[in-house]
Amino acid sequence: MGVRSPGTAYVLLHHYMGEIDGAFRSWGFSRGGTGAISNAIGAAAREAGVEIRMQAPVARILVKNGAAQGVVLETDEEIRADAVSSSVDPNLTFLKFIESRELPDDFLEEVRRYKYRGSSGKVNLALDALPDFKCLPGPGRHLRGAISISPSTEYMERAYDQAKYGEFSHRPYIDIVIPSLTDPSVAPPGKHVMSCFVQYAPYKLSKGTWDEQREAFGSAVIETISEYAPNLKSIIVGKQVVTPLDIERQTGLTEGNIFQGELSLEQLFFLRPVAGWARYRTPIRKLYMCGSATHPGGGVMGAPGRLAALEILKDTGKGKH
Amino acid sequence: MAAAREIVILGAGHNALVAAFYLAQKGLKPLVLERRAMAGGAAVTEEFHPGFRCSTVAHAGGPPLPSIVRDMQLSKHGLETLESPVRLFAPSLDGRALVLMTDPIAASKQIEQFSKKDAGKYVELHKALKRTGAILSELLTLTPPVIEKPSNEDLWKLFKVGRKFRGLGKKEMMRVLRWGPMAVADFVAEFLETDLLRAAVAARGIYGAAMGPWSAGSTALLLLRAASDPYPVGNSAFPRGGMGALTSAMAAAARQAGAEIRTGAEVESILVKNGAAAGVVLRGGEEIPAKRVVSGADPQRTLLGLLDPVHLPPSFAVKLQHYRSNGTAAKLNLALDGLPAFTALRNVSDGNAALAGRIQIGPGIDYLERAFDDSKYGDFSRAPYLDISIPSILDNSLAPAGKHVMSIYMQFAPYRLRQGDWTQQRDALADTIIKTLAAYAPDLPGKILARQIITPKDLETTYGLTGGHPFHGELALDQIFTMRPQLGWARYRTPVKGLFLCGSGTHPGNGITGASGANAAREILKDLR
Ligand SMILES: Cc1cc2nc3c(=O)[nH]c(=O)nc-3n(C[C@H](O)[C@H](O)[C@H](O)COP(=O)(O)OP(=O)(O)OC[C@H]3O[C@@H](n4cnc5c(N)ncnc54)[C@H](O)[C@@H]3O)c2cc1C
Ligand SMILES: Cc1cc2nc3c(=O)[nH]c(=O)nc-3n(C[C@H](O)[C@H](O)[C@H](O)COP(=O)(O)OP(=O)(O)OC[C@H]3O[C@@H](n4cnc5c(N)ncnc54)[C@H](O)[C@@H]3O)c2cc1C
Repeated sequence: MGVRSPGTAYVLLHHYMGEIDGAFRSWGFSRGGTGAISNAIGAAAREAGVEIRMQAPVARILVKNGAAQGVVLETDEEIRADAVSSSVDPNLTFLKFIESRELPDDFLEEVRRYKYRGSSGKVNLALDALPDFKCLPGPGRHLRGAISISPSTEYMERAYDQAKYGEFSHRPYIDIVIPSLTDPSVAPPGKHVMSCFVQYAPYKLSKGTWDEQREAFGSAVIETISEYAPNLKSIIVGKQVVTPLDIERQTGLTEGNIFQGELSLEQLFFLRPVAGWARYRTPIRKLYMCGSATHPGGGVMGAPGRLAALEILKDTGKGKH
Repeated sequence: MAAAREIVILGAGHNALVAAFYLAQKGLKPLVLERRAMAGGAAVTEEFHPGFRCSTVAHAGGPPLPSIVRDMQLSKHGLETLESPVRLFAPSLDGRALVLMTDPIAASKQIEQFSKKDAGKYVELHKALKRTGAILSELLTLTPPVIEKPSNEDLWKLFKVGRKFRGLGKKEMMRVLRWGPMAVADFVAEFLETDLLRAAVAARGIYGAAMGPWSAGSTALLLLRAASDPYPVGNSAFPRGGMGALTSAMAAAARQAGAEIRTGAEVESILVKNGAAAGVVLRGGEEIPAKRVVSGADPQRTLLGLLDPVHLPPSFAVKLQHYRSNGTAAKLNLALDGLPAFTALRNVSDGNAALAGRIQIGPGIDYLERAFDDSKYGDFSRAPYLDISIPSILDNSLAPAGKHVMSIYMQFAPYRLRQGDWTQQRDALADTIIKTLAAYAPDLPGKILARQIITPKDLETTYGLTGGHPFHGELALDQIFTMRPQLGWARYRTPVKGLFLCGSGTHPGNGITGASGANAAREILKDLR
């Protein structure tokens, strides 16, 4: 969506929904990157009695008589369970892990209709020094927060226009952070890491593939930032360009949608992910959904997970009433 | 000074005429004041070149609610509706074209040439729109409820709609809820695969709006229109004699019921005494006292233009200033020496029959979206979306024998241009429209005898549409139903006691249906009781 698109005010509010250390509406940094948040949550979960196994990719969800019975890993290992809760998107959960005959046709039709269409990418840069912005030269506090390349609503709208026709924005909207300024542990002394979140990079390109376009995309981002911080190119010592296709490959997020499905009005609230199935349950008994594809959606906020847990506890009779 | 009249209505657009009729029926003898020399508002027929007349602004009929046509006995008052068997002719530049007949089966035969799958899906889409349209049409005649504390009557009426809604079944009900906020480009893609056909249907979701097919909420507009006519690409019904014949019949019906209509009477201000409407002052100074004032003009013109702002709560005034009513539509009317030959019809035996309905230039979703893109930055579309009719094919009263009139509705022409103004750009706009059309009908430029271009600015100055908006304000999700024209003020009343709105800036306000006028009359009569 572009800034003028109806419904975008919701996405803005959505970004204000969280609360970080009491600072309502802030997107904070966490020492060690967002991975640290996941690690902390993981540690809390372990302490509460959760077992977490890494490198255990699920290949199938076992279903018998319309109820989930466990999962089968890619290694063919079978794990039986009283209930299964999936935090991956509906595409993987229902179209990949479960045989279609186990699901009602109506439901499958809706799952296929659910829209992903990732439109963002990332460029991570390893820097020899700090970028020097023309508008505010030298180091300073302005580099420690979010740096937004979004000079006007028209600029953002034009960036979006290109994506509508299957091109990445040649002058994209970029949201930059330099976490090494607040957390020296992420780079060698004196060096820096610059993380650039980029919109728009449509998953489906009208010409070529993302593997062919990756370099050009990275260059467009660097060129754009260089217009504001001309020293950028000379301080880059390493770069990683993450296209929506890479996001899909690396994280399993279908079509690289960072929120496990578009946050458009028709895919929110009681319609997320599928009308009639917004209460974390699925047409298969004992199979639940608990990821960003459920209400209230994506972001490192944890709400879908908590709400799903409450529903699961209700069903097992262990919930507090 | 004369005794105060019971009711004065300002503006004689079709909604005001409908309201006048229903009020007159109850013996109220409303006086209707119109600034122009003719009644009808944006639904008029005018001679724009000697011997050539057409629906200068709106050209295809809403259509008016059947209850209104019946109550006002419009056919008795001279309304004859001409229906083309072809609803829409949509040519593409590759020389192929869709000729969509009213009969969905015949239409699907045509569609088969493009896609077998779409042929079936088109019929399915028509059925789906019929089902949802039937329910939404109940909403058209409903006064939007008060959200905070709905009255028993509100609840009962909503309950009745709700019951019908549930009658759809859970699956269908959820579908409708999901559809509303969707981009119409996504909506049509759920049914159809042919781009030309997708665009033909999707155009209905953007007609008259500052939206492209990829704008969220454009499906709601399509569904709203389906409530009046569920046929996927809309209707092609033309009153004989043009739109003016419809409003003339309405005016005649209103007069017969007891209304008085004065043209050439521009209201300059609305009088307020002790916090209540007390009459109007005309340009020239004439004062007309009245117990109630009803406005058929748009909400901004009425409340910000004709009223002293001290009478409005400041927050109301501020919100109304933010009510979006900058239009993106323009008109080009052509007097033609003969019918143009469309390349896409060169092998069709009765090609002219295909031209008797509406003609759409907007051959793909991306085309429509790009046309919209230009307008976002204050330019008019270089390759615009056009909705055309040649009413003289079915109606020989509009042009001399053998000659024709072509009425071209154009989108997108933003009211506010980034560069220059509409006085400078009007010819460039007309040239762009003709050039666009000539790509499909190369002999057109040679057949033009005269042209009349109506820019968004003209829509404002000549026809009184603030911001040039066809519907007295955007029909967007945040400006419809209980929010039209403003949340808390969607029941045809205003913060000034005795001052009412009855035009298109009130619910449902979507084209020439008359529903806003009829709903307003009902509410005014309630207050009188
Ligand atoms: C580039 C990018 C930038 C973002 N920026 C921000 C930001 O700044 N702030 C913010 O709040 N949000 C941001 N987000 C969004 C946020 O990361 C997600 O919304 C959030 O991580 C979703 O959490 P989740 O638990 O629902 O799902 P995920 O984090 O997607 O977790 C799903 C997990 O399931 C695993 N999995 C997948 N398939 C299988 C399988 N077959 N078997 C076993 N495991 C499997 C995956 O490996 C993954 O670990 C960003 C996302 C991206 C991609
Ligand atoms: C280019 C264009 C094409 C359109 N095409 C179609 C179409 O094909 N089909 C369709 O259904 N709809 C169409 N519409 C929309 C439709 O014409 C309008 O929505 C409809 O006519 C509005 O009717 P109304 O009675 O609410 O107001 P209007 O028709 O706008 O009437 C308001 C009247 O108030 C008068 N007035 C204003 N101020 C004063 C004053 N101070 N004193 C006295 N009188 C005043 C005006 O002169 C006008 O006569 C089109 C609109 C435009 C602009």
